[in-house]
Amino acid sequence: MISPQTLVFVLIGASILLILVVVIRPSITASREGKIIAFLALVIVPVVAAGVGASEHMERSEQTQFCLSCHIMEPYGRSLYVDDPSYIPAAHFQNHRVPADKACYTCHTDYAMFGTIHAKLNGLHHVYVYWFGTPMHPIHLYHPYNNRECLHCHAGARSFEDSPTHTAMMSDLKSNKLSCTTSGCHDTFHPVDKLDQAKFWKPTE
Amino acid sequence: MLGKMRISGILLIFGLVIEALSLLWNTALSFMSFAVIGGLCFASGILLFLYSLVSLDTSGLNE
Repeated sequence: MISPQTLVFVLIGASILLILVVVIRPSITASREGKIIAFLALVIVPVVAAGVGASEHMERSEQTQFCLSCHIMEPYGRSLYVDDPSYIPAAHFQNHRVPADKACYTCHTDYAMFGTIHAKLNGLHHVYVYWFGTPMHPIHLYHPYNNRECLHCHAGARSFEDSPTHTAMMSDLKSNKLSCTTSGCHDTFHPVDKLDQAKFWKPTE
Repeated sequence: MLGKMRISGILLIFGLVIEALSLLWNTALSFMSFAVIGGLCFASGILLFLYSLVSLDTSGLNE
């Protein structure tokens, strides 16, 4: 099976060859067929190649590796390896409750209409601030964490639904009146200022 | 027209090379390189070619 990345490289190579034909022999545009080739080579094919490349980059931007490529995110990446189940992101990451290769994106996207687009626009803003602005210290969320993001996976799960604690407050949890993360129950996330004292889990290779 | 077409082609090739290079890494920097440098090359290359069409000098086609 050919990977999408291979297909993109093949498309780029073919595009370059087609453009080279027009660059080396522009006189072919004297004929009608040549004009069509030139239009394909210099408009249609580059637009398709750029679109496919942009799509591939968008797909890759969901990966944990991408998020952690910014220096400011390194401690947040390290916090995923804290050996303490009370650290919610670490417990989710280490036990594969979220896909390990899309750990950041899985929890930090809005599971609402246009949530993916919203998350990617926020990501573009983050990249812009990282390179051209001054990132906040410590970084923080735009809005309080919405229970919707937790319930996207946990709602309907037996371990969640059968818990007497959850059952007693289910309507408040589902209506977001009572926060999963700031009501004293699941409130340990990425305490990057305490990583010096933390013990870390080392995955076996 | 032919000169503009050549420049347009070179800009587009440059954009495609930037795109290929940016896909070798999965970092914010490679994404920004693709979006900013590659995007500029693509946009300017295509626009230059389209401009060459609307400012067509047919005498150059027989060179």
